[in-house]
Amino acid sequence: MFKKSGDNASLFAGLAVVFFMIGGLLTTVVPPMVDKSWGKPFENSDPTKGPVGKLEPYTELELKGRAIYVREGCWYCHTQQTRTLLADTKRSGWRGVDSPVSTPDEFVYDSPHLFGTKRTGPDLSRVGGKYDTQWHRTHFKNPRDLVPGSIMPPYPWIANNEQEFTAIVAYLQKLGRAKHWRPDNDFEK
Amino acid sequence: MAQQDKTVQSAATKPGAAVHEDTTAKWFIISAVVYFLIVGIIAIVIAAKFVWPEMLGTVAMLSYGRLRPLHVNGMLFGWLLAADMGLTFYLVPRLCGVKLWSEKLGVATALLWNVIILGAVVSLLMGWNQGWEYAELPMPLDVLVVVAWIMFGINIFGTIATRKYQQMYVSLWYTMGTILWTAFVYLTGNFATLFTTGVNQANLNWMYVHNAVGLIFTPVGLALAYYFIPKAGNIPLYSHKLSMIGFWSLAFFYVWTGAHHMLHGPISQWLQTISIAFSLMLIMPVWSVVYNLFATMKGNWPRTRDNVPLKFLMSGVVFYLLTCFQGPMHSLRSVNAIVSKTDWIPGHAHMAVLGAFSFFAIAGTLYVIPRMFNVALHSDALANWSYWLFMVGGIGFFVTLWLGGFWQGWQWNNPSIPFIDTVKALKPIWIVRFFSGIFMFAGIVAFLYNIIATVVDSAGAKPEVQGA
Repeated sequence: MFKKSGDNASLFAGLAVVFFMIGGLLTTVVPPMVDKSWGKPFENSDPTKGPVGKLEPYTELELKGRAIYVREGCWYCHTQQTRTLLADTKRSGWRGVDSPVSTPDEFVYDSPHLFGTKRTGPDLSRVGGKYDTQWHRTHFKNPRDLVPGSIMPPYPWIANNEQEFTAIVAYLQKLGRAKHWRPDNDFEK
Repeated sequence: MAQQDKTVQSAATKPGAAVHEDTTAKWFIISAVVYFLIVGIIAIVIAAKFVWPEMLGTVAMLSYGRLRPLHVNGMLFGWLLAADMGLTFYLVPRLCGVKLWSEKLGVATALLWNVIILGAVVSLLMGWNQGWEYAELPMPLDVLVVVAWIMFGINIFGTIATRKYQQMYVSLWYTMGTILWTAFVYLTGNFATLFTTGVNQANLNWMYVHNAVGLIFTPVGLALAYYFIPKAGNIPLYSHKLSMIGFWSLAFFYVWTGAHHMLHGPISQWLQTISIAFSLMLIMPVWSVVYNLFATMKGNWPRTRDNVPLKFLMSGVVFYLLTCFQGPMHSLRSVNAIVSKTDWIPGHAHMAVLGAFSFFAIAGTLYVIPRMFNVALHSDALANWSYWLFMVGGIGFFVTLWLGGFWQGWQWNNPSIPFIDTVKALKPIWIVRFFSGIFMFAGIVAFLYNIIATVVDSAGAKPEVQGA
């Protein structure tokens, strides 16, 4: 069959597509059908099963902030996933409390998804509530004023635009908050 | 097998063979080489921003987050894919023994492609970014890409359908595979993603990202390698059967591996395991190709000494082997826990797209431009210079990012080291990366100058007949 396809362009093209389609369909269409947690928003009220909480859809303001995050390409340098690695749960943690790992059901309302592939700056999957608005304003104006040695670009056009600034901070404060993982609930506003 | 080798050796030299206009190929290749230079400037700027983060920092359009997608899309689609398409327009008619199906349609495709690239420059600088890696371009441009791809496909398949040589050389298979798979891969990454969210969308996105390299740039790159290595070296291909194994195993194994971009991440463990298993199996298509090309060169290595296209081609094969050895290794969970998300990854990605596939495209360009314009290459010495500049810059870039990335990964896995210290630690790495970039950019300048000067030479000087 393969030998013949060396001369027959139609047979060849058909086989090439079939070969591709087997893996193509099994790895894209089938997984969400098998694993329902990909499409069901996180909700848990039983503390014995891990952190409690409920994933809420984004508000209009948060969506606006999210669009700025996409526009400026923040996701090229900041991932949004606490992986199943001990170091990730420590680094995403706060004040001595380890963060829970990210699960598919926490991202159901995300489009475009912003998991990211490169971690030039720290992961932001649990950044919500860690820093207050004033910190973010100073940091967007010039990150090096707060974090010497940082290589994040300054974003004066966000910090100086009240509407955009309010929106992106609203979005950042929402990140990773579906799970109530902080025992003292000591979130910054 | 022997029949095949004769086909590739003599496709265009036969008396009475079709006379090729090559207008489409010229358009595609020359515009691609110009984008290579322009996007090279962007590359230098973003490399500099790692070292001097304030540089051009207060202008929104010139911030890192806007320039990075321009660099990636410009290099992938403006330079590499356009050059690959141009070279395909050159080699397919020659392997089929007929003229291109429609030169007019081809030129229209080239014009449309340039419209898309210029549209991409404007929209990415404006921040009209869809938020998916490799699929940043806004919807209207995505639609134009699909239209251009259909035009390209019709032309190539039309040429193959009217071919004079019955047997299809391996480069034709890879070209056809590229056209068919790209159609599905591109639709998945740019359109199917619209109907999904979260992890489901990410899974489609990684299927696209992975296969943009694996089922677009790899097969078209290998089509070039399989054509130009025997041509430039004047050596018959070692084994037709081995190239068949390489092709069909690529067709089957590659598409399964998208989820390895989310190892340890919020995606089903079983899917991660499948992607790891298939990533390891990729060694099969890769080694069969590399073995075939190395065996072809056996006893003929001295020919690389003063044959610059062959030098680029065989270095590209070595980089292809290395990058495709790294890939399966990263997909092992233990290795992934160290290198994933670090600077190792751009080191790996650049070796694939620059070290392997751009080297093939550069070699092809250096080979076809003198033949299409019927004049000698402007300067072999300059071509040799561009090779060494790319080589020194490339190795400097790859090796420092691997070392830096590994080091970075180890630091991340020790949570007692504050994150900012892991950033400061990488500064020397980024300085070396910047200067390596300068070398590569000089290589681009030398390459572009050589190509343009050759074209200019052909307008004035005496035609110097080359072997076809």
